[in-house]
Amino acid sequence: MDPAQNKRLAELLEACARQDRAAFAQLYQATAAKLFGVAVRILRRDDWAEEVLQDCFVSIWSHAGSYSPGLSAPMTWMTSIVRNRCLDWLRRPKVEVVLQREDEDAEDPIDAVPSDDPGPLDQLARSADAKALADCLGRLEVKQRQAIMLAFYDGLSHSELASHMRQPLGTVKTWVRRGLERLKACLGSN
Amino acid sequence: MRYRNKPELQDKLAAEYVLGTLRGRARLRFQAWMREDAALRRAVWQWESRLAPMAAGVAEVRPPRRVWRAVESRIAGGDVARAKPGFWESVAFWRGWGLIATGCAAALIGALALQKPQIVEVPKIERVEVPSTKTQQSYVAILHATQGGGDKPVFIAYVPRDSDELWVRRVALDPEPAGRGYELWGLPAKAGEPPKSLGMLPKDERGTIKLAAAADQSLRDFPALAISIEPEGGSKTGLPTGPVIAKGDTFQVF
Repeated sequence: MDPAQNKRLAELLEACARQDRAAFAQLYQATAAKLFGVAVRILRRDDWAEEVLQDCFVSIWSHAGSYSPGLSAPMTWMTSIVRNRCLDWLRRPKVEVVLQREDEDAEDPIDAVPSDDPGPLDQLARSADAKALADCLGRLEVKQRQAIMLAFYDGLSHSELASHMRQPLGTVKTWVRRGLERLKACLGSN
Repeated sequence: MRYRNKPELQDKLAAEYVLGTLRGRARLRFQAWMREDAALRRAVWQWESRLAPMAAGVAEVRPPRRVWRAVESRIAGGDVARAKPGFWESVAFWRGWGLIATGCAAALIGALALQKPQIVEVPKIERVEVPSTKTQQSYVAILHATQGGGDKPVFIAYVPRDSDELWVRRVALDPEPAGRGYELWGLPAKAGEPPKSLGMLPKDERGTIKLAAAADQSLRDFPALAISIEPEGGSKTGLPTGPVIAKGDTFQVF
């Protein structure tokens, strides 16, 4: 997301706060595919992702006035809304049941990605504003990076990470915690 | 508060919250805590800024047209819950840069604006006995219509911490029948104990009800609230006399 795009999205949000429906339609056009991608990746079910996306855009419309351009980029703000709503969604009891069933089928989120497809890390490295983060992720130990990326991209909890990575819960928790610490230190020094 | 003034621990929790590994009750507690702690909101915002670029690594997926049509019709139909600012801002729910920049906004948008009451079902935390006429905790109650089903709340009550006022908001309550009023009741936990009147509902969409002395006590003792139709000015007997139109549980938020 380059500065010009950020500026454009911030202007659209500002117009939404003034109840400008045309601006909202443009905002949706510009961001829905990315946000839907985030939701589908975490929820792994299109129907749930559609529902979450719908709710999030209604929220974005009604709270556009709460967005402060000086504090976060528009995409950061909107992505946070979508990710948080997905994570809240995964907390519902009936969702856990479904996830367990999927786990029994040994569905592997990494295997699900075709091998010739560039992984998230490669795609990340291509986006200019994400390059620093990609560099720092690349410097983590492999297990730490895997755990963090599975948690972020696939919405896996500690216990889901443990069963997915076939490691004790405590080990996985340590990978996540140390990985985040190192990430923070690395980003801070950039 | 176990984690207050422990910036390192706060930072670790904020990181796991943003990453998404903070789950279940811990996540709910964290969201409730974030609502009241600016330093924590700042830590969350910083982690969101750090990790947000990862979303650039997600492949775009074009959503079906029906999503946009549903969004459009909800906006046109006014199904936005919080079209007008006012009530919740005054409870500091939406105020402040941290809140806006953080996932707390998202959590609260889910909880309140979209009227999904299950999101606000914060687990009860340990209670502290402190004699005071003001609340030591904050509470929220979401009331549903007793008739006609539907999972949409019709009425929300909220008491901030350190307050002796109940903030009330009519979400979808029919106007009072002519010459009658709505009275709010606390329903005690023990069977057989009588409901206690908390006061008459203001006629406006939003308003406040002053709680009697020992406000905390009056809410802590009532796991649920109810609204009944009474004569204007309140029930003459001190007990509900008319039909109960709405009812819902009280949750201690923080």
